[in-house]
Order: sequence, then structure tokens, then C-alpha cells
Amino acid sequence: MKTATRPDHRPSPSAPSGPPAPQVRNDRGVRGRLRGVRKWNIPAGVAALLWLVVVGLPLYVLVLATLRTNEAYYDKGALSLPGGLTLDNYRKVLEGDFFTYLLNTAIVTAATAAIVIVLSVGVGYTVVRTLSRTSQRVFQFFLLGLAIPAQAVIVPVYLLITEMQLYDSLLAIILPISAFCLPVCVLILAGTMRDIEEEMYESMALEGASQTRILLQLVVPLSRGGISTVGVYAALQAWNNFLFPLILTQSRDTKVLTLGLYDYVGQFRVDIPALLAAVVLSIVPIFVVYLFARRQLINGLMGAGGR
Amino acid sequence: MKHVATTSRVGRPGIAWAVPGVLFFALFAVGPMLLVVYLSFTTWDGLGSFPSVSGTDNWERLFDDPTMRQAVKLSIILTAASWLIQTPISLLLGVWSAGRQKNRAVLSAIFFLPLLASSVALALLWKSLLDPNFGLIAEIGPWIGIENGNVFADGTSAMAAVAFVASWQFIPFHTLLYQGGARQIPKSFYEAASLDGAGTVRQFFTITLPQLRNTVITSSVLMVVGALTFFDTVLILTEGGPGTDTTIVPYLMYETGFQAYDMGYASAIATTLVIVATAISLLMVRISGFTAMRSTREGM
Amino acid sequence: MRTAVQGPARGGRKGTRRHRAAALTATALAASLVLTACGSGGPGEESSDAALEVWVYQDASVTVQQAAVERFNEKSDIKAELVEVPGQNYQDKMRSAMGTPNAPDIFFNWGGGSIANFVEKDMLVDLTPELKKDTEFRDSFIPAILNEGKIDDKYYGIPMRGMQPVMLFYNKKVFKEAGVEPPKTWDDLLDLVDTFKKEGVTPFALAGTTPWTELMWVEYLLDRIGGAEVFDRIRGGDSSAWGDPAVLETARTIQDLVDRGAFGNKYQSVDYDSGAASTLLAKDKAAMFLMGSWEYSTQQSNNPDFAKSDLGWTTFPAMPDGKGDPRNVVGNPTNYWSVNSSLKGERREAAIEFLKTTAEEAYVKDMVENGEVPATTDAEEQLASHPAPDFALSAYDLALDAPSYTLSWDQALPAQQASPMLTNIQKLFNKQLDPEKFVDAMKALK
Repeated sequence: MKTATRPDHRPSPSAPSGPPAPQVRNDRGVRGRLRGVRKWNIPAGVAALLWLVVVGLPLYVLVLATLRTNEAYYDKGALSLPGGLTLDNYRKVLEGDFFTYLLNTAIVTAATAAIVIVLSVGVGYTVVRTLSRTSQRVFQFFLLGLAIPAQAVIVPVYLLITEMQLYDSLLAIILPISAFCLPVCVLILAGTMRDIEEEMYESMALEGASQTRILLQLVVPLSRGGISTVGVYAALQAWNNFLFPLILTQSRDTKVLTLGLYDYVGQFRVDIPALLAAVVLSIVPIFVVYLFARRQLINGLMGAGGR
Repeated sequence: MKHVATTSRVGRPGIAWAVPGVLFFALFAVGPMLLVVYLSFTTWDGLGSFPSVSGTDNWERLFDDPTMRQAVKLSIILTAASWLIQTPISLLLGVWSAGRQKNRAVLSAIFFLPLLASSVALALLWKSLLDPNFGLIAEIGPWIGIENGNVFADGTSAMAAVAFVASWQFIPFHTLLYQGGARQIPKSFYEAASLDGAGTVRQFFTITLPQLRNTVITSSVLMVVGALTFFDTVLILTEGGPGTDTTIVPYLMYETGFQAYDMGYASAIATTLVIVATAISLLMVRISGFTAMRSTREGM
Repeated sequence: MRTAVQGPARGGRKGTRRHRAAALTATALAASLVLTACGSGGPGEESSDAALEVWVYQDASVTVQQAAVERFNEKSDIKAELVEVPGQNYQDKMRSAMGTPNAPDIFFNWGGGSIANFVEKDMLVDLTPELKKDTEFRDSFIPAILNEGKIDDKYYGIPMRGMQPVMLFYNKKVFKEAGVEPPKTWDDLLDLVDTFKKEGVTPFALAGTTPWTELMWVEYLLDRIGGAEVFDRIRGGDSSAWGDPAVLETARTIQDLVDRGAFGNKYQSVDYDSGAASTLLAKDKAAMFLMGSWEYSTQQSNNPDFAKSDLGWTTFPAMPDGKGDPRNVVGNPTNYWSVNSSLKGERREAAIEFLKTTAEEAYVKDMVENGEVPATTDAEEQLASHPAPDFALSAYDLALDAPSYTLSWDQALPAQQASPMLTNIQKLFNKQLDPEKFVDAMKALK
């Protein structure tokens, strides 16, 4: 059961960034299959509609609240009709340090993704291609950490980061988050890399290609799907992280968005609409990324499920 | 299997490629894990020099601390609850969205929005929505059986709120996983079943579910691991309250370590978390056969 | 960072292809690390001419400290830099930072238990000699308030914010509509609970998700029932004092109030930080609110019309047969500046010079204009320029005349006790603990 036998059902590794043609073919394949499947979609369809309400209603209330004055927010109910809307809340947030926080988050997210990709490609390559027992051990070593949440070791990480004089720097957040992303990412990449045919390595090696060339010209391009999954996974971990910034940073210059949002509670006090505007603004950047790179992002996330 | 048969020494890299990754992981992940075990035998208030071992006090205290017992119970309940809420919904949604291309483009943006926001953003949003006087819950509470909108009055409803908010955030992600999985199922399977006269429901249980086995495992594992990190949501939504009724283990650890500054005892709590998580990892590796050196696509 | 780059590079020189490749990976990693380090500015480096880092709790009052730093920097060679730390978890953040090389040089605190650990570890400068030397500086503060900054008979803190007694705020409009007066006795208070319940108004706003607001009730009730001595004993380290009958009586009174519906039927979900409780009072949904004096400025900035015409305040009533003096006050006497003992030589001198700005006329004036009630002896005449002179004067007199001024328990006790204590109090209000079990749980605090 190799790729060639049923190309329609699996996005090919190059699909995410490839030319539009294979995507069209892909879509048609899915749609073609649908005819046979549609019948049992009714309960799922109902669930989907319900879910739409469960997701949509709070989002509607959220956006509406951010467009109201503080006075109107407290006087009218959450569900009342809009009227007398204002953008003041957004102005209030953007006049503050919002962009500093956003920049910090971007740095942390990009750096974490970069570190994780570089390291896990190296490990994954060794695990898949080296036949020695040591590489098996390495793999098992990483797998043991699969379910361990970084949060569990915040106390020693605090001690470690303090001893390394990294307290209150972005590195204090980046390093431990990256480390804890590695197990899942190594697993994902090892899975992807195993699908590369033995013959391809052999032919490249026979041509006299160096290890570095094999890695960069064969393994990396053919693992692009896995690599983008790893990147998305690591980026989301970094983007979402809260405990590490909370404990390991304190100053304005190192504040990331999650911590900034939390601190807005203290800063805005009674001003819920402004706080919620900050919440909306924190979603906007990644939503823009989502709009532009929807397919990569979704495929990346789907890949995390393994197949 | 083929790989082993054609074992050749040609084009095999050395172990050196893994060294940076291993060292990094050892320093920033394994190191802290060992350190947390060490710290659990110390009394340290977070100030001053590196703490030295002071005995097993923390562990003795851990075993007869009612709050810890409650925290373990609550963590298990929260994990189970979020699995029970998230799995069926995301399975149904995932299978549904695997198909309908037209609506999906429009709806997916809304569907997946919670996934794009950070836990902190969502917890803050829900905190305002759950305000019994001025939030959404004040208006819709009576319709859904929460009369005063007083969600944080008792442990059960507060816990339900935490589980709900976490599910609200993570269902989109698991939906994606199932969507990806469902797309891989060859339609020929369904066609054959249809010819045999199998109905919708039977097809779901005889084809879709078994075919999604690996996805179910992965998704479940991620849910279990994720449940250990609901800390952010708890901190913002309930601060472990009412009383200690939503104080799950990670929150108890945070409170002990960084509010009461009992770092030694917090480390003992953390050590139990690490042990449980390692056990889960092992179990996961067993069930899924991750270590087996074979293509992830084989056996499909 | 230098070592990170050098390490793998050395490996690369060994020359085999394998090693070079690994080195490449490692160097790429190191490069990305260096890049991010640059982006973040890296860990702080403490040089002798770096500015003094001054940490302050960020809220509406911070403008006073901003102005003080500006004035200080005009004349001092060693500059001060104000770091505003957002309110939530200030205590935790300050505490985490104190364990690191990035600790602040001068920092805002509540005195008492909030700095006791630091004193124990010799991390703070003993200010006693300085206060002895400069008596004029010492005498500019109300002695009772200055003394609250003492630990083991040594001064570690200089008052730097206004006095914050806890007061009973009320909504005049709601009182007028119900045709009632603010409570003078405990029976009045109980009658008011019934009256407002009939009117469909929550008698007391209470933020049940934020247990330190519930603590205020416990503090005042214990003080009125058993006198200030009970908590003084607890604070002195005698945890058996929790067994005093007055504590049990306090706990029973709390649950009696809960049963009477004094706090309405959904106080458990009301939040303080998001302003829900304050808004209940301002929007005529609650009649009274027991809160620190800062509530006045909170209302003034968020509901100015209400603050101007309908916000009333009074003292906590006496209890029948209570031992405590009804003039006693609980709350935060003030906040203090403390100085990190890692400061040496002229930097330490500069830090002490900075502390002295708090007694300057300009500082006191800024505080008054900002709506605070200074803890200085000469403040009274200045209070006329307070935005709400009536309020300021009554808060000032309340604090000045109080035979005892008990520091908020969560600040007075060490963090190890404060955090579980707040949990117990929340359980008491939520009736998850009955009064007897509450007393047992408090006695067990260590």
C-alpha cells in the first residue's frame, strides 16, 4: 500500500505549497468520494449547526461588547441590539504597549518554531536512517517525554533559568518551550521520513552525495509536510504559552501577548469592553495568518494526528 | 519490512545529527525533570542560594494532604469529562467537514476561531461571558438551566464551566484531526459496504470508526496531555475556587510554588505529575506502537 | 551566548563530514538563539551607573510616583527608572523576581508578611539608622503608619501611598428610595438587609470569586467582636489564637449573613478585578459595599456621576457586646518603599535619597490632588485641594483616630499562610466549611 496506488485520498507531500493543479485534483477526489458518504451525514450536520451556535454566539457577544462604551456595556444586556457603536476601545488598547507585546510573541513563536524544526529534523533523520541501537535509544528517550507537560517542571525551570541569568529575557521562554515540543515533533518527523523510499537514498548515495546533501536535497524536501506540521505545532505551543512568561518574565520589554492580556485585567479594571478589545486584537494577527495560509495551517494541524 | 531486507550501509548518517537535539532536550527538559525530583526533597522558599536536601517531609505531607487528594480526583474528572465531551463532538464534526467543500470554506473560519486564540484570551472572554450580572450567562442562563447565572457557586458547575471552556477551545483542533483522518478512508470501502446493504449507522461503526483508530488514539492522548495543562483556564476563570473545588493538580502546584512559595512541596506535587505523564507516555507508546520502525502509513 | 557558538564550531574543525553537518545544525541553532537574544535585549546587565530600578504597583495612583521619579532624576546623578507592574499578582511577580539577579532596587510593598521573608534572608536595607539621623524626615509621617513598616523593631519601609482604610460604601439613591439611613448599629445593618431584599436590591455587593474582598468582612467582624488583640496574637505567630471564641463567633456571623441573603444569591460568581462588584453598587443593583478607600477613586474614574452625587460612606458598625473599639480600622495603613540590600555605596545613598522624595511637599500635593489621603502629619491642611475634600477628611480622621489599625491579614501573614487562609475564607462564605471546621482549618495553618 504505497502512495501510488491511491493518490486521491492523501494530500501529496508537496500539495500545500505546490501549484494549484494537484489541489484541484485533490478536491475532486474528495467530492467524488462524498457521494457515497453523504447519507450518514445528518446527525453530524445537526451537530455542526449546534456547534455553530455554540461558537458563533459568544463571538458575536464578544465583538459587540468591544464596540460599546463602558456605560452601554453595563446598561444594556449582552444580547441587546447594537447601536451607538464606537471604536474607542480599540484605540485605547493600541495606544498602549500592544505592539511591543505582539512583537515579542512573534519573536518567541518564530524562534521556537525554528529551533524545533532544526533540532527535530536532525534527530528524526538519525532515528530513521541510522541502524545503530543508539539511535533507537535516542528515539525512546524522546518518546518518554511525549506526555509530559512543560508546566509540570516550572519550579526547576525557574531555578535553572535564574541560575543561567536568563530571567526576564525572551530566551527564558523560548528554550524550555522548544525542549518540550521536541518529543511530539521528533515522532511526527520520524513518521514522515520513514515514508521516503529506500531506493531514493541509495541512488543519491551511489551518485556520491554527501550526508548533508542527502538531508537537504532529499529528506527535507520530501518531509515538507511533516516539517510544516512540526512548525505549526511548535508555533502554537509558543503562541499559546502563558505559565512560562508569567513566571519567567516581568518587564514590559519582554512581555508577550498572553501575559499582556492577563495584565490588562489589572490595568483596565472596570473597563471590560477595552479588555475584550484586547482579546479580539490578540486573535487578529493569527487570524490574518490563517486567512493567507489556511491550507498550510490546516494541513499542518491535520498532520499532527498521524495517519 | 522491506527496509530491513534491503539493509545497506550506503547513505547511512551517523548519530552526530541527533546530538544537538539530544543535548538541548537533556538540558531544558530532562534536566528540569530530574531537578524537580531533587527539589521535592528540599525545603525552599524560592529565595537565596541553591537549596539543599532536607528530607522526605514533602512526600509525607503529600500523602495525607486532603487538598492533593481532591486535586488528583478533580484532575481525573476533568480529563475524563473533556474526553467525553470532545471526542464525540469532534468525531462527528470531523467526519462531517471531511466532505462538504462548499460550506466548509465559509464556516471553517468561525469553527476554527477558538483554535486560533490563546487560552488566556479565551478564559478572559468566558470570564466576562459568565458574569452573573452583566455577562451573556445572565441572559441565557435561565434557558439552559442555570437560573441565576451563578456558575461558580458550587464545585460541580464551576468544574463544568472549566471543562466547557476547554472543550470550546480544543474541539476545533480535534475536529481537524478527525477531518484529516476521515479524508484518508478510501471511498471504495463505503461503496463495497453499500453494495452489501449496510446502512449509514452501520457504515459509521464498521468502516469509519475502525479506520480512524489511530486518529482516535492520537487525539485522545493529546486530550489527556492537554488536560494536564488546563492550568491557564483555571487560573483565570476560577482561581481554583469555589474553595478548592477546581484546584486541579497543576494549579495546586502553581499555587503552592508561586503564591505560597513552598517550592519544595510544589516540586513534590510536580514530581507526581511527571511520573503520571511518563506512565501515560509509556502506555501510549505501547498502544500505538510508535517505536516500531515502520512507516506510519503501513497497515492502512 | 559566546560559548554556544564556540562549542559546535570546534567540533566542526575535526573535519569529518558527519561532524561538519552536525555542526551546521548546531550553528544554525546557535545563530537563531543569538538572534532572539538580540531581539529581546538579552539578560540585564547590572553596571554601576545603571538606573535604580523602582517597582511600583500599577494603578491610577502611579502618576504620583512618575512625577517623583522625574523630580528625582533632575537633581540626582544616579537616575531612577520606574517599572510599573500591573496589579494582578504583583506580590507573586515581585517575589519571583526577588529570587533572581533581576530583582528591583527599590520596590512597593505592603509591609508585614509581604516582606518578612526578605528580611529573614537579609535582602532589605535596615532604614532605622537613617530615620534616627534624619528626624525631620521621620516625623513627617504619622507614627502609627510608619511603625507598621517595622519588622523586629527595625524599619524596612517608608510610607509612599495614601492610607487605605476599609470603609462601608453605600448608594445614597437606593437608600433614599427605600427611605432608610446607613447603619449605625449591627441591628440597623440586619434590618437593612431585610429592607433591601424586599426592595429587590442586593444589600451588600460582594465579589465572591476574589476572596480578599470577603476577608474584609472577617477582619472587621473579628475586630468588633473580639478586639484587635486576637489578630495581633495570630500575627505574632500564635496559631492557637484562631481557637479564640471570637473567631468562631465571627464565622457564625458570616454564615448568618449569607443565610439572610445579605450578599444576594449569586455573589459566588461576582468578580472584583473586572469591576463587577463596584458596578453593582454604581448601577443601583446593590445598596452597600465593604471595600478599601480606593473604591472612591475607582468609582470616580468609572462612574463619575455616581461618585459625585450618590456615593456615600460610613464606618463599620459596632457589634452588640463586642470587645473591639468601634473606632478601630482594618485595611492597608499605606504602602511602603523598601530598598534591596544588594545596593551598595553611592547607589544605596541615592536610593535613600529617593525614598525621601515621599515626604516632600510636592509629593504630598500630588497625592492629594490624585485623590489619595497621605500618611503624613501635615496632610490635613492640604486636603482642601483633594477632589473630594469631604471624603478625604473623613478617611484621614478615621485612620488618625483609630486606636488600632490592623493591616490586611493576607499582607500581614507570611505567604505560606495567607494563600490557604483566603481559600478557607472563601469556603466559609460558600458554606463549604461550617464555622467549627473553619476554625479547625485556620488553626492548622502553619
